[in-house]
Amino acid sequence: MTSMKTRGRRSALAAAGIAAITALALTACAPPGASEPAPSAGSEGEEGGALKVGFISPTTGNFAVAGQEMVDGWNLYWDLNGAEVDGITIETIVEDDAGNPETSLTKAKKLVEQDEVDFIVGPLIANTALAVAAYTASVDVPNLHPVAASDDLTQRAANDLTVRTGSMGGSQANYPGGEWAATDGGYDTAVTLCADYAFGWESCAGFVQGFTQNGGEVVEQIWFPNTTTDFSTYVSQIQAAGADVVYVATAGGAPGPNFLNAYLGLGLDMDDLLLNCCAADQGTLRTMGDQIVGLKSVSYWAEGRDSEAVAEFVDAYKEFADGKVPGAYVAGGYMTASLVASVLAERGLVTGEDLVSAITEYTFEDSIFGRVSWDDYNQMVGPVYVREVTEGDDGNFYNTPIATFEDVDQWLGRSPEDALAQPTYSQSFQGLE
Amino acid sequence: MSNRIVETRTVRTFGPPRRDRVQLTNMALLALLLVAAIALPYLGASGFMVSLASTILIAATLASSVNFLAGNGGMVSLGHAGIAAASAYGAGWASQQGMDPGMQVLVALGMTLLASFLYGLLSMRTSGIYFLMVTLAVGMLIYGLAFRLSSVTGGENGISGIERFEWLDSYWTYYYFVLGVFVLATAALWIVSNSPFGASLRGIRDSESRMRSLGYSVRSYKLGAFMISGSVAGLAGLLAVWHTHFVSPSSAGVDRSVHLIVMVILGGVGTLLGPLIGAAVVVMVENLLSSYVDRWPTLLGLIFILVILFARAGIAGSAGKLFRRLRARSKAASSPEGDAPGGAAAPPGDRHAVHQGKDPQ
Repeated sequence: MTSMKTRGRRSALAAAGIAAITALALTACAPPGASEPAPSAGSEGEEGGALKVGFISPTTGNFAVAGQEMVDGWNLYWDLNGAEVDGITIETIVEDDAGNPETSLTKAKKLVEQDEVDFIVGPLIANTALAVAAYTASVDVPNLHPVAASDDLTQRAANDLTVRTGSMGGSQANYPGGEWAATDGGYDTAVTLCADYAFGWESCAGFVQGFTQNGGEVVEQIWFPNTTTDFSTYVSQIQAAGADVVYVATAGGAPGPNFLNAYLGLGLDMDDLLLNCCAADQGTLRTMGDQIVGLKSVSYWAEGRDSEAVAEFVDAYKEFADGKVPGAYVAGGYMTASLVASVLAERGLVTGEDLVSAITEYTFEDSIFGRVSWDDYNQMVGPVYVREVTEGDDGNFYNTPIATFEDVDQWLGRSPEDALAQPTYSQSFQGLE
Repeated sequence: MSNRIVETRTVRTFGPPRRDRVQLTNMALLALLLVAAIALPYLGASGFMVSLASTILIAATLASSVNFLAGNGGMVSLGHAGIAAASAYGAGWASQQGMDPGMQVLVALGMTLLASFLYGLLSMRTSGIYFLMVTLAVGMLIYGLAFRLSSVTGGENGISGIERFEWLDSYWTYYYFVLGVFVLATAALWIVSNSPFGASLRGIRDSESRMRSLGYSVRSYKLGAFMISGSVAGLAGLLAVWHTHFVSPSSAGVDRSVHLIVMVILGGVGTLLGPLIGAAVVVMVENLLSSYVDRWPTLLGLIFILVILFARAGIAGSAGKLFRRLRARSKAASSPEGDAPGGAAAPPGDRHAVHQGKDPQ
């Protein structure tokens, strides 16, 4: 036994020693390729016209539906208009990250180092988006975000190479909802029910600040775990709170219809309900149908808006997706593609930091979101719509604007410095003093 | 599930040395592998490939810590991603407070020990399925904290911008660092497994009551084993956060822990190189194959099912088994009247040889 032990120990020690020595000897000289320069940063109009785009999206796993929609939106634009702008061809490589930040990062590295893409679009989930944005900035590659809603992407974690092109932050998109409820809506008190994680905290913070800054009073804030399926207890709490208006924010998917079923099932009145983007997205509208005609919600995307750009996009998507109306994820992908095309048409082939500044200096007059521009932190400044569910001539249900707030920025009535000095939003901090 | 894993104890590539030649072949194989790993950046592998190799080695280190507990102690943990995440969050928090990497290491170490102790304390009275449930629960607890305690952890957004030591800055120096840590951790776990402590652990695995009646303090052994395994897991967590410069709640998620178990079972429970092989398969399917195959999770599932059906001892375990079976057959052919039924040639206590002798008949 003793001899075995010592032998084992000795050989292990020897192996470790050899490993350490070889490692030391070899690390003294760098492998070939280690000193190769990083992919060229920011250049204008070189070697003809081709843009290589890396698109990261969760097309498998829990977020597969949303991830696929985002990709579909991007592809739809290029299918419709041809993947060429003034002689510049657009080639897209789609990579799946399954919603996992580590995979997302590996895919970003693969796209940058192996495929040498000019910029990266995506990914979708907040933590994957922040991880990829930090990496792409470190290697001087632009990163465009069609859907990711995390406030910090263009606030505390903002950088010169990351730009949100197809969506708004959680607080930004819901702030006008609060303003509307307190003014045009004519409500004095509100109760909120939001998903209990970053996106819900931010959405609620936006609504609450808009509501209180315009003289409203929030009597109670209720939070639900993302996995909730039975909302009846929350509906009872809402009833007990006895407020004039009920604001509900989910992150999309099943919670929207589940909440509405519980709420309507108890015979409560839908008129005093205001939902966020995702609680009243196309998924909810398709599930609930004509029960919810007249339901109000607030978002930067309104598929029922009377505009040429929207009509063209909606018709094209309906043809592509068997008559389905596009939701915010498809719109984000399509918006990003149309933005890239417009910028290329105006500025010619731009890459690197020049591409990002070309986007942020651009004002997109007739986008599917309306007139949008970008602020110093590369965040979209544009219209937010209070919408109502209507039934279209085609039998589909649309969110149609009943009120429009133009040029909504991400600072909720503060200066950027003041806003950034605050802690991040949470259950306990909603931006109220 | 736990029963099945315990069964595979008969397959161990590194037990008490059977014959010097087998030992020698194994050592040569290991040395060859190590040389290949060291040469990798010089063989024209791109920065991305080397960085992917680092990912594999980090996953393998973490899987080794699970493997150590499962192989020696029969304790299958469904919460090891939580320990790695605790360590990663420790480093992330320290970096957020503006501390240098040296302090990050200390805070990560503190968090690792704390988390491992918590896991060990709560699970040392349990075994089998109950152990699995307790570790799952503590893992969920860590996930919940990371998700909800947003003032410290950044909530779902996580913590980004975590920097490693400057001398580790380039991808290839970091690769060698990770390789070195992996080799040392694997060697350390192997030494512990072959020490009297490891033998006592296997004793506890096989019969807890017998060990207790022999006067062993079963609980302290289990706690000790968990602390050792947890330390390696924490080390892997620190390596991961330095690799990606980023940590978020998903690194503590249940699916991550399940992936670790998949790696260990794919590679072979209780084998030395099993975790490395398993990690390589899982990471490559996840990151490389997924670029070409849309339904890569299905593919991973298929590989797992095939391994369970046809190579229950895992890839490393079954390869070793096959190798020994071939040797035994050639030996039996050369000396038919020799030690055929397996008893005489095998050193006493070598289960494998006994098992082997019965198997083909």
